[in-house]
Amino acid sequence: MAGGAIKQTDVHAVAGATIFREARLLDSGEWADWVAMYSEDAVYWVPGWLDEYTTTNDPDTQVSLLYHDARRGLEERIARIESRKSITALPLPRTVHQISNLEASETGPDEITCHSVFSVHVYDPRVAKEHLRHGRYAHTLRREGDTWKIARKVITLVNDRVPTVLDFYSI
Amino acid sequence: MNAASQNHAARLREISRLVDDRPSERIFQVDRRIFSDPAVFDAELRHIFEATWNFIGLESQVARPNDFVTTHIGRHPILVMRSADGKVGAFLNTCRHRGTVVCPFKQGRQKFHVCRYHGWAYDSSGRNISVTEEASGQYPPSFSNQNHDLLPVARLGSYRGFLFASLSADVPQLEEFLGDTRAFLDLIIDQSDSGEVEFVPGASTYTFDANWKLQFENGLDYYHFATTHSSYVDILKKRNATAGPDAGFTVEPGGEQEGQGSFSFDYGHAVNWSIKRTQLYGRPLGMDPARLDAVRQRVGSTRAKWMLRQRNLTIFPNLQVIDILSAQVRTWRPLAPDKTEMVSHCLAPVGESAAARTLRIRNYEDFFNASGLASSDDNVMYEFCQTGYDATSAAPTQGYLRGVADIGHGESAHTRELGITPSEWSFGPTSFGGETNFHPGYREWHRLLQHAAGETA
Repeated sequence: MAGGAIKQTDVHAVAGATIFREARLLDSGEWADWVAMYSEDAVYWVPGWLDEYTTTNDPDTQVSLLYHDARRGLEERIARIESRKSITALPLPRTVHQISNLEASETGPDEITCHSVFSVHVYDPRVAKEHLRHGRYAHTLRREGDTWKIARKVITLVNDRVPTVLDFYSI
Repeated sequence: MNAASQNHAARLREISRLVDDRPSERIFQVDRRIFSDPAVFDAELRHIFEATWNFIGLESQVARPNDFVTTHIGRHPILVMRSADGKVGAFLNTCRHRGTVVCPFKQGRQKFHVCRYHGWAYDSSGRNISVTEEASGQYPPSFSNQNHDLLPVARLGSYRGFLFASLSADVPQLEEFLGDTRAFLDLIIDQSDSGEVEFVPGASTYTFDANWKLQFENGLDYYHFATTHSSYVDILKKRNATAGPDAGFTVEPGGEQEGQGSFSFDYGHAVNWSIKRTQLYGRPLGMDPARLDAVRQRVGSTRAKWMLRQRNLTIFPNLQVIDILSAQVRTWRPLAPDKTEMVSHCLAPVGESAAARTLRIRNYEDFFNASGLASSDDNVMYEFCQTGYDATSAAPTQGYLRGVADIGHGESAHTRELGITPSEWSFGPTSFGGETNFHPGYREWHRLLQHAAGETA
């Protein structure tokens, strides 16, 4: 490891702190703090599935479930919900994110790549129905000054026949 | 006719009367039970979805020999294949031996489909090429006289690459069934210089816990847009303040009267459309002036003008083609009275520029599906309606009367431009949002149930 590089234990600690904090902010609806974890040019990508085995790999020529190439796209989604005009948020489902199998490695100067798996339990108090979204996260974290920002998040949604609504809080 | 079938016919007639359609009295009412009654649902699957033409995909999904896709018509699993010699076929996806689904995959390319249960094999033309261990099977002579091929659908047809199939042979010719809806398919297909459209890879499947007819109605409903989608409209307005030429905005020619209208056609089809001075969103065809000019040269200024107007086309009973900020092909599959599965594709003209294609994809993701900023609101709204329909003792809803006082018949300025002869049309201000374009679907629904009951419609 080159001089000045962070240690592997620190890499894992940074990754865990970031990803678990993100999950907590999503579940508690603290979305201003959540979106502030992303860099302004962050890519937020949920690929679609081409067949039983393969996800889309090029957002410019294939359709994704969600694709934002800047934090602004997430901010629009937040504003839509907070406007109290979108019926998808009246009422808003309650969620619990569970994340495990975390691996993290230093993949460049001031860059950490993390892989993890998630289950998000989604409960809709309107109809007392619940469902579970599950899949894999790949986060790319980048150091900006004193803080680590999420520069890229790829969410591979395993169960992609989605009931009714899919939004940033349910994956 | 025996007693059982007489009872069935009587039940179907009773169900069909849940739609109360009295044009001369300007009454159109739909009983709430139509959205929740299991007997209605069963009748719809058997006598509507499984008795008429359904959209089953694009020919370009099976572009090469041995390509296949799987889908459904009503409850029936369907396997669409292009044979080794290039002919498209559609078959019941069920082994002749014990009924096993022969192809469990969404799509792919295979010369042969081998049933996983006992190994019976079929080629891509549906022909049985192997009955496993037939010689040692001690079969009676009648077995070898039986046909063992996959069962083809009763009717299969294509209109410029849009594939339709019917499980019943008792249907009009496809051209007659589609009628003037073809003019609206043409307005999309002819955006391609080669006259070809394709699905952009990456289909979405989602469900909502509501009756399929909520989706049928909503796709023809402009009245809901400003209310249901007000949060999305806020986003669009904010974006539009800073939108550049790449956003694909176009302008209506001078002298065009703003408004919102619809055309109703035979066999349940309808289209709603609008003419707007101030657009909420641009479209891929609008982002490249040179290409738009070329299209205008090719199709004429009138049809080019209509290509730039929002058009929501419903081809009853299972297809909507939406051409607005992007183009969407969506089909629904009724799973239960209160559960529907949607399959949605981004539709694109072959040959558009890379930049136009990317804008098409971004706009599609933005608006449509469970993950989009507009359709997700619709999905929840359907569930709100479904919950409200449980008030079965309440009077019929009042949602079928906007526009009834001024239904147009015969020609209008708009029908003449398009060269179509709809059974009815409507036109009003942009706030109009007529509901008479729901009527043809319900009339066809009624006709098919009456037809099944053995009555003349």
